[in-house]
Amino acid sequence: MKSLISSFRIILLILSVQTLQAQMLNWAGGPDGFRHLFRASVGLEHGAILGIAYGYKVNMGPFPAVLTAEYSMPLGQDFPDDFKLRAGAQIRWAEAGDFRFSTNVNGIFRRYENSYARIENFGCEVSGALGYYRPGWYLAGEFGFDKAIVSHFRHSASYRESFPGVIDGWYEPATGGNFFYGLQAGVSFGKQDIFLRAGRLISEDFKSAPALPFYGQLGYNVRI
Amino acid sequence: MNQKNWLWAFLLPGALALASCAKERLINEPGNLVPKTVMEDASIPAITVNGATLHTEAFGHPDSTMVVVIHGGPGSDYRALLNCKELAQEGYRVVFYDQRGSGLSERFSADFYESLGAELVSLFYDDLHALIGHYRTHPGQKVILIGDSWGGMLAAGYAGRRPGEVQGLAVSEPGGLKWDDVAEYVKRSRSFKLWSEILNDATYLDQFITGDEDEHQILDYKMGLHSSVNEITGEGVHAANLFWRNGAACNASLIGAGQEYEPDFSEGLDQFGAPVLFFYTEKNAAYQLPWAQKVSAPFRHVELFEITGVGHSEMYTVGQVWNNVTKPKLLTFLQSF
Repeated sequence: MKSLISSFRIILLILSVQTLQAQMLNWAGGPDGFRHLFRASVGLEHGAILGIAYGYKVNMGPFPAVLTAEYSMPLGQDFPDDFKLRAGAQIRWAEAGDFRFSTNVNGIFRRYENSYARIENFGCEVSGALGYYRPGWYLAGEFGFDKAIVSHFRHSASYRESFPGVIDGWYEPATGGNFFYGLQAGVSFGKQDIFLRAGRLISEDFKSAPALPFYGQLGYNVRI
Repeated sequence: MNQKNWLWAFLLPGALALASCAKERLINEPGNLVPKTVMEDASIPAITVNGATLHTEAFGHPDSTMVVVIHGGPGSDYRALLNCKELAQEGYRVVFYDQRGSGLSERFSADFYESLGAELVSLFYDDLHALIGHYRTHPGQKVILIGDSWGGMLAAGYAGRRPGEVQGLAVSEPGGLKWDDVAEYVKRSRSFKLWSEILNDATYLDQFITGDEDEHQILDYKMGLHSSVNEITGEGVHAANLFWRNGAACNASLIGAGQEYEPDFSEGLDQFGAPVLFFYTEKNAAYQLPWAQKVSAPFRHVELFEITGVGHSEMYTVGQVWNNVTKPKLLTFLQSF
């Protein structure tokens, strides 16, 4: 198990260096021939978040796809103790007139640290978006699930003072999960997009919600 | 590498992650991330009263004046108050307990708490009454309550409802005795800056760990990770926050009930004529003299006492302050009975 996790971690880290992600994309916007996509964004998603991303477009016949990767981190004084890396693919599966349906699958590595514990997690995010896409703008609804699949816990001396018996190491199966749903909208001009997405988060038990039960993101894309 | 291979390279991490679900270690297993409670570990000292098994310890001669130490939170535990054990060496019967749903005491579901509606706070008064009854050895035994923070609110509320049962109170920075005061104090004593490390530490964790509303091991662990330093109240600045295990369901339920039913912890205090020692601290920026005067106003015989150099709850945890200030002041107060 540990070797598998280590392999997974290495692959993900390599990928995160090679590519970065872009989730928000106007499938009908701009020149079709773009290959690279760069993005910067600010928003709220389990905290106040800054993010940068890169996308690489690949042509798969009727299913155009963008290989994506993203680095994001919450604001705070202790940089960079918390962050998230996402790497995956966004694929447009269906097109009917100006309506399009796409999915987004990402592997995730994320890290959290405070004075009591450091948690590193491997997870997976799957989402779908159905929307109306015009060359100059788009509006879509999105729904997805973010699963924290396996996590490594390491506790500080401060926490051990409270609970000396705490057990560090890998914890599985899944340690958490949140559904999200909302809207995304964007405007495109030339090789650039500005987009906004917002919605709500709910825990996988469908009863409780995260401390910050909504998300929002304002971003800027450049396509080359 | 052709484009299809690139796609597989990106999807591979997710596939590997999904395939790695062999059973190894569970975050909701008692004793892994948080200590076991009295329900899982029979070696923990406990009593069962009012339908709850409570982690409790008592020191000193059983017939002596009883000093019941009531911890804060809600949802914290008595570990930070253990210096009060020294009062037993001065001739007092010192009783500690973790409130139901807190520390190492028995857990109850959120639905159970919710089913009590406006009577939820009364359940904690009843637990305290039953605890005192359990340790009381004779009808004339005097009872003094020491309550820290939320424990001070609970002590005041209990004294107001049973004025003949309590011979004295020593409280330290109860948030408020009227609910509006509680709400105002909570607002002033927390930093909600969107860009702050504290807020983002509290919210960022939710994508790593989630728990059903009754998965106490998970929820208690998350609450414990949040209980770090508070620069406004000074809590945890001069001495580490000591705890065994937080009680998240209890905490959320009591706060929820407070917001919904606005309990009055000062009710009946006009009938409570016993002396009250009221501590407040210099380093708690949200609890200066005017606020202490306002909160303590419902007490008929109250002495305000400022403890310098420390913040919220630290008069019990900073050794030098405990030895030189808090303990002597408490002993002087106790010796007046």
